[in-house]
Amino acid sequence: MKRAVWESRSSGLLAALCTALLLAACAPAATNVADPLAQMRQPDGAVVWQQEYRFVPPPAPWQLIDLDEDDYSIACMKLCSEGYPCQSTLAYAEEPFGYSLDFEERQAEFFKRFLWASRVTFAPPELRKVTVLGQDGLEAVTVGTEPVLRHKVRCKILFARRGERVVAFYFTQWRSEEKSFDPADEADFDRFAASFGFLQPSFYERLFPQAP
Amino acid sequence: MEGHQRNLYLYERLNARVAGVSRDQVDTLKYWAEDLGLSFPVFSNSIGHIGIWFETLEAGYPMFSRKTVIIDKWGVIRYMQAGHPDYRAILTLLKQLHEEEATR
Repeated sequence: MKRAVWESRSSGLLAALCTALLLAACAPAATNVADPLAQMRQPDGAVVWQQEYRFVPPPAPWQLIDLDEDDYSIACMKLCSEGYPCQSTLAYAEEPFGYSLDFEERQAEFFKRFLWASRVTFAPPELRKVTVLGQDGLEAVTVGTEPVLRHKVRCKILFARRGERVVAFYFTQWRSEEKSFDPADEADFDRFAASFGFLQPSFYERLFPQAP
Repeated sequence: MEGHQRNLYLYERLNARVAGVSRDQVDTLKYWAEDLGLSFPVFSNSIGHIGIWFETLEAGYPMFSRKTVIIDKWGVIRYMQAGHPDYRAILTLLKQLHEEEATR
């Protein structure tokens, strides 16, 4: 009798377990994915990165990417369900393209090199003075076109200052020529840039503590 | 090269000068330097003896491999590093050399 009761209970447990597994399979995938930044995450949701930067990363499905290059310090990518070329990237760059310490000159130098390998032709950027990292900065917004593949890319670059050096935040959103851009991704970028801060003086500030 | 151009104002602050050397012809280098906006000298060494001296000329390959060399004001080689320039190491050493220079 005991055996029969156990079998009955165990099959009930099995059914409940199967139901739970089925329900779990229906749950949004994001809830099952471990937070890749969990060890760097602070109680308020911000991330401390290499004891140097503090920022709130954009929410999933944005993913931190390793570009294995020096052009970016931190970068995230978001892919669309419709696939290539539909994607957005955002990044912080400690050494943005160009040389000048003047924002307007730097943006002109920057767009000579930015996305150079993608063969993009940029429209003249719209420039706007903004506050970035609590200081005067420059926002440059433009759309580039790639005429062979018929792709377009919306770019927003925020030039900012860390000490005397120029740093920058990049946003790009790629679409096919006939598709419209999605402002939600750009809003994620704006929140990322607004949340960004430095936890210590930069290498250059430590090397030249008396610099202007 | 772009990293050196970006740091040029820091090199000047440390009383250092930068020059590039390549096996390309003068006209090629002139176009390339203008396109990149480089304002420091880039020398053409098409014969390649500088590459032999600094061991950047690999057998069977016609171009110099990348190498950063720092020579102090007394002509002593103080740093040689192959590959992509480590700009932070370069600046740190230049600052040290600049401080040495002041005490000699």
